[in-house]
Amino acid sequence: MHELLTFIRAEAKKRGFSDSALNRIELVAEEALVNVFVHGYAGTQGQVEVHCLVSDDPALTIEVHDKGVAFDPLSLADPDVQADLTQRKIGGMGVFFIRKMTDRVAYRREGNRNILSMTFLNR
Amino acid sequence: MEIVVTNESDVAVFAITGRLDAVSVPQLEERLNQWFEQPGKKLIFDLEGLDYISSAGLRVFLTTAKKMKARDGKLCMARLRDNVKDVFTISGFIALIPAFDTLGAAQDAVK
Repeated sequence: MHELLTFIRAEAKKRGFSDSALNRIELVAEEALVNVFVHGYAGTQGQVEVHCLVSDDPALTIEVHDKGVAFDPLSLADPDVQADLTQRKIGGMGVFFIRKMTDRVAYRREGNRNILSMTFLNR
Repeated sequence: MEIVVTNESDVAVFAITGRLDAVSVPQLEERLNQWFEQPGKKLIFDLEGLDYISSAGLRVFLTTAKKMKARDGKLCMARLRDNVKDVFTISGFIALIPAFDTLGAAQDAVK
């Protein structure tokens, strides 16, 4: 996983993202990959591909492709971030970070693939 | 990731350096489980050297906070870097575990 994250961070750096943006991009990428490892393949072996799309605008779009069971992570409800310690539930934070820290995020199913597309604008 | 645990009187300080992510989390969980076998009630996470935390890391912090509450103990964090604080703020966890700018302030808070 670290190699994939290093690759993504390097791609984002080439596009001139600030250090704080790079931190968020790396975090979102980890969350998306961990989701695939844990849910998509449920502990079994499987392939995951990371695509960094090239575009003329200063945005970065990362796509994570997997062939695990069909699953739209964006269908999950947000955790209640206002809840107190007793009420606060464990889990759901990964997808929440993906939603909060991307400028655009979309899920699609193509054939036997799950594709999560995440776009970061360079401001 | 590296974890150094020091005990000063009845306060345990977990200094965590490096990356706390899905890969390194089991290491921290193991150290914490060992600690929870003892009856300690005062715990500080010193995060001065923590470069990175993801939701997997936050999950351990939340579990720890719940366990500390269950044993009527005190837990707090010290010296969060900006990007780590960012993650705690967005997740709302900053309201669940008190955070201090200095280790001294954290030590005073658990006394």
